[in-house]
Amino acid sequence: MLNALKKLSWKSTIAILAGLFILLYPMLGASAYMKHLFILFFIWSIVAASWNLLMGYAGINSLGNVGFMAIGGYTSGILAKSLGLSPWISILIGGLVTAALVTVFLGLPALRLSGIYIALLTLIFADSLSSILTQTRAITGGAMGLHEIPGFIPNMEKIHAYYICFVFFLAMLYVIYRIVNSNNGLAFVALRDSEHLAQTLGVNRYKERLKVFAIAAFLTGLAGGFYVHSLGDISPATLGIEPFLLCIAMVELGGVGTFAGPVLGSAVIVFGSEFLRLAGTLRLSMLGLLICVTILFFPGGVMQLVEQVEGWLKERFRKQSASKYPAD
Amino acid sequence: MDSFINAVVSGMISGSLYAAMALGLTIIYGVSRVFNFGHGIVAVMGAYLVWTALNAAGSTAWFIFGALIALAAMYGFGLLVYRFTINPLLKKPNWEISTVLFMLGGGILLENLLLQAYGPRVKSYPEFLKGTLQFGPIQVSYQEITLFVVVILAIIGLNLFFKYTYTGQAMRSVAQSIPGAKVVGIHIDGIFGLTFGLAFLVTGFSGVLLSTKYFLTPHIGWEWMIKGFVIVAFGGLGSTNGAIFAALILGIVEAIATLYLGAIWVWPIWFAMFLVVLLIRPQGILGGRV
Repeated sequence: MLNALKKLSWKSTIAILAGLFILLYPMLGASAYMKHLFILFFIWSIVAASWNLLMGYAGINSLGNVGFMAIGGYTSGILAKSLGLSPWISILIGGLVTAALVTVFLGLPALRLSGIYIALLTLIFADSLSSILTQTRAITGGAMGLHEIPGFIPNMEKIHAYYICFVFFLAMLYVIYRIVNSNNGLAFVALRDSEHLAQTLGVNRYKERLKVFAIAAFLTGLAGGFYVHSLGDISPATLGIEPFLLCIAMVELGGVGTFAGPVLGSAVIVFGSEFLRLAGTLRLSMLGLLICVTILFFPGGVMQLVEQVEGWLKERFRKQSASKYPAD
Repeated sequence: MDSFINAVVSGMISGSLYAAMALGLTIIYGVSRVFNFGHGIVAVMGAYLVWTALNAAGSTAWFIFGALIALAAMYGFGLLVYRFTINPLLKKPNWEISTVLFMLGGGILLENLLLQAYGPRVKSYPEFLKGTLQFGPIQVSYQEITLFVVVILAIIGLNLFFKYTYTGQAMRSVAQSIPGAKVVGIHIDGIFGLTFGLAFLVTGFSGVLLSTKYFLTPHIGWEWMIKGFVIVAFGGLGSTNGAIFAALILGIVEAIATLYLGAIWVWPIWFAMFLVVLLIRPQGILGGRV
């Protein structure tokens, strides 16, 4: 046990401490508002992490992930509200529907396209989604959206949603971790870094790209389901420019292509954008500026800073121990 | 039948405006392979600058002078954007997605700065020509005819520029092959910069044309831009003629769909056509390569 503790790197230590803090936080007297922010953080970091799976690991420039979330959320919300299905089943169905729709409408065309075409296709897909949602008022509630979607359990309180989303968050992070470190994950990265070499070595581009699209869509759709059942409503505004930018900022700020990056990024954005509310109408400009500055000057995001600080500390530590025990 | 012919004519006119707007996108992409996701706001910015000139100027001569200065400012803005932001980004390995995200962020920034400066109220250009032309069953206002003619002239002017000037030829050669252009002594960075300047100028001007027919708010740029995206992908990225044909086709489709099905169907039909074209011919109707 002690040996295992000693082996932990400082990063995992911080992660475990943060996890413990989140676990205990509601008992230490978190306000309803803070619980709400944490729920948003859990859900958005899963959306950001699966976006990162697509963009960072597989190198597919998707811009429609908020749309995937809306599909999952709407499907689950409609099933639970109008048909009275249990949320646990409807969330799962929502995820599957998202994966199916995205694979058919985006995955299959995207297989034939590269680079910028995928960005265009996915952005246009997400954009048309909001007009479809606005037009189909009878089912989706039109521009007003869905309201009073049932919670996970009857008479759900904020604290239940908090723990349910926390468990979901940990489970999904574990799933993404396993995917990234599996053969499939290696195949995605290989395709991103050197498509031709990967294909020569027997990676099936067609299959792997379809897989990563389906997985990312499924996870994002699940996150959408958890979103609607913990917050109770969803509207086409979810597909607006602001959530889209926030999500991009989460991935970019945290560090594209790193495992912890999107989680850190969404923590910064979810809690930080509440402070930005003070800026009033200038909020969106600040967000835009933040994205621009990050890309120009810190392309690796927060994770890059962490690595730099770690390297610097190690260097100092080595120098100190070297001066303490001079080599003969 | 009369309404059908009129729909086709008005579709051609709005299509020609879309073509003008899509040109800026396709010029930048064709030469530098950077896709401008802040395109819409560039058009809006040009329109706002010229609108300011219009309101500040007392007479037509002053307005033309002011509009020229506004367009020159757009050109300068393009040069600056390229020199200080895009150029450093292009030197990094994942430049494709980082320029996209950068332009998106920059677009939002600019949009909200314009919102701060001009307010959310809808602005519009005054009608400068009154009256309609009646030609058989066709009814077109003189203003729309003028816009159409202006677009045609601008497109011819651009083509002449690409064909006969040194800079235009250099841009075409860079578009065809960067190593080849380097071999014959073309300064790639300089040409990229000039391309951005030119594209921002054209886009700003197209913003003026579009807001003369429709209206102007800081947010309208997204709608224009998404339409521009469909048009350039439909016509083939980087192909100017493809973009023009695609814009005319989509403009006519838009007008006919509005006439028979209602305006809400325009977008689903565009998206469906876009998907079909991408599936059958990913390089677009006139594009050379993916």
